[in-house]
Amino acid sequence: MTREVIADVLLALAVLVVAASALGVLTMPDAYAKLHFITPAAVVAPVLVALAIFVQEGLDENTGETCVALVFMMAAGPFLSHATIRAIRVREHGDWRLKP
Amino acid sequence: MTSGFIVAAIAMLVCLVPAGVVMARGEAAETVIGYEFITSVVVMVFALLAEGFGRPSLFEFPVLLAVLLYGSGLVFVRALERWL
Repeated sequence: MTREVIADVLLALAVLVVAASALGVLTMPDAYAKLHFITPAAVVAPVLVALAIFVQEGLDENTGETCVALVFMMAAGPFLSHATIRAIRVREHGDWRLKP
Repeated sequence: MTSGFIVAAIAMLVCLVPAGVVMARGEAAETVIGYEFITSVVVMVFALLAEGFGRPSLFEFPVLLAVLLYGSGLVFVRALERWL
């Protein structure tokens, strides 16, 4: 019973993080600002989901596979955000570097 | 079947609607950002559904999608930079 309550709380937090990020992506004025709201959904919420599965299942195969997915997401997220910002700058200014 | 996980999965699917609106109405860069958001959330939805329905074999999907998220995201980013 206690495990289920803790898992449900963690899941509720994950859903709140994703909902707030979704609102940020919807309401921010430009692509640079919208990009900030991907990180919570791509890094923070998966950690909460993995913790919820860990609390529910204990240390088993399912938790391990979720953690593998989590590691991939946490590794890919910053690279992808950086590449996206770079692409937007190249698209807008022709080069990603600051010009004097 | 664990209902909390299924409810969380459904709630996260509902949260995809704003990103879908951004993809449909925004410029090319905002569309790529909406795509990245949706793939990140769908990884969690797959994990939640696998846990919620008690199907350990379905835990392969979030792992696979997490790997593909990186490659596909870079493909779209490169396309955005060069061709779109």
